[in-house]
Amino acid sequence: MIADLLTAALAEEIAAAPDLRVFVPTTPATDVAARAARELGAARLALARGFTDLDAGQRGSVLDVFTLLNRGRLGVAVTPIQLDAAGRTNLSGIGPVGRPKAAMIGPRGLPENNDTPSPLWYLVPQHSPRTLVARVDMVCGPAPSGRGPRVLLTAAGRFELREGVWHLTWITEDGADMINDTPEFAIETPSRLPIVKEPNAETLAVLERVDPKGVRRREFGE
Amino acid sequence: MGARAGGSPVALRDVLEAAVADGALVAFGGGELKRKPVAAARELVALGRRDLRIATMLGSAEVEVLLGGDGLAEVHSAGVMLLGLAPRWRHARQSGSPRVVEWSEGTFVAALQAAALGADSMLWPSGAGTDLPAVNPWLKEVADPWSGAPVLAVRALVPDVAIIHAHGVDEEGNVYIDDDLVADELLARAARRVVVTYEREVPVDRARTSIARLFVDDTVQAEGGAAPTAMPGLYEVDRDGIGSL
Repeated sequence: MIADLLTAALAEEIAAAPDLRVFVPTTPATDVAARAARELGAARLALARGFTDLDAGQRGSVLDVFTLLNRGRLGVAVTPIQLDAAGRTNLSGIGPVGRPKAAMIGPRGLPENNDTPSPLWYLVPQHSPRTLVARVDMVCGPAPSGRGPRVLLTAAGRFELREGVWHLTWITEDGADMINDTPEFAIETPSRLPIVKEPNAETLAVLERVDPKGVRRREFGE
Repeated sequence: MGARAGGSPVALRDVLEAAVADGALVAFGGGELKRKPVAAARELVALGRRDLRIATMLGSAEVEVLLGGDGLAEVHSAGVMLLGLAPRWRHARQSGSPRVVEWSEGTFVAALQAAALGADSMLWPSGAGTDLPAVNPWLKEVADPWSGAPVLAVRALVPDVAIIHAHGVDEEGNVYIDDDLVADELLARAARRVVVTYEREVPVDRARTSIARLFVDDTVQAEGGAAPTAMPGLYEVDRDGIGSL
């Protein structure tokens, strides 16, 4: 259920993003979302398959992704191990900087993609106090300065980072309890808030077409 | 056994024995679980080189193979993983041995770009405000001399040897990669010496060349040389092989 809800939400976000020319899938679910986005209106959206295969004709240079990021044209959805109240990200490890107690993958591209004019989505299936924190242990992605949209999608709902503060824009049925369990991750909640119980039917139908085997659900442990 | 372009047949171990000295900085091409020069990494372990420093933008099996030996002094990377987390990489970072230098993908590219241009350093617009300079002495946060904006000054990373695994090499020594190049084109320009292992000999087709022979020093055939990582179009990831690294 959450897999469908979040994948559908991401697909709609990608389809609606202005100026987006290429999306870099980082996981099977984000790949499904991007392929669905093509059917939802972003028909010419390129799907990158690496650094120099940008699905747009001639093979380019490894620098192209950074050029497109800094022109607002390259979108990506990431799942950091920690995301904080200011939008900083961590994929390196938990514990002291340089000597983590639990080392993970490494910074990868987070230092490049967290503060650009390009859209960036954080796809964090579990709305957990281990992941959503006051401040990340190691700052891989710097606090976004507002040059491009930053949206967080979790099992609790959708959040937008505006002027350094996360704003809840819709909530799931069980979202309130999850949010109460992450008090360190400061958010602003409006007085009236839509509750989203299921994905849009049209979007769900597109997901089923592009992902008939339900790859997206395995990624969410469903 | 393979053939060096224009010369007599050579073995991978002989090439690496001549190219890689104790203490060398050896960079590996490919990315994640694709096109990793794993056969070369295994040969370096077998050669028993000491105090090697290795670098790869996005590492996987080659890093784990080399960490499984006892000849490494330092690992540079923006990230290492297998089908899940990479156990030896994690252990190295948690224990501090061998030393790990963490990069981002962009700063790693910038460090190679500086090396390729013969510059001591270059400015990189991303990464200011992060903890990267705390874990990487090749990076310094500075004010851009023109705008005053915070940026990273990235010191050139000059590999003594780059090892790249390719789909093919032609009789002239040009290199063909039928997939994402990752940073290999740049790596070949940054390194002092470039060794290319390849799957098969192919006809000359300069319009399709991925890396021109001008940047290549040694070529040696190593069929299956990326396994257990994938060689797109030729073989897939060997999941059992990854699991038994």
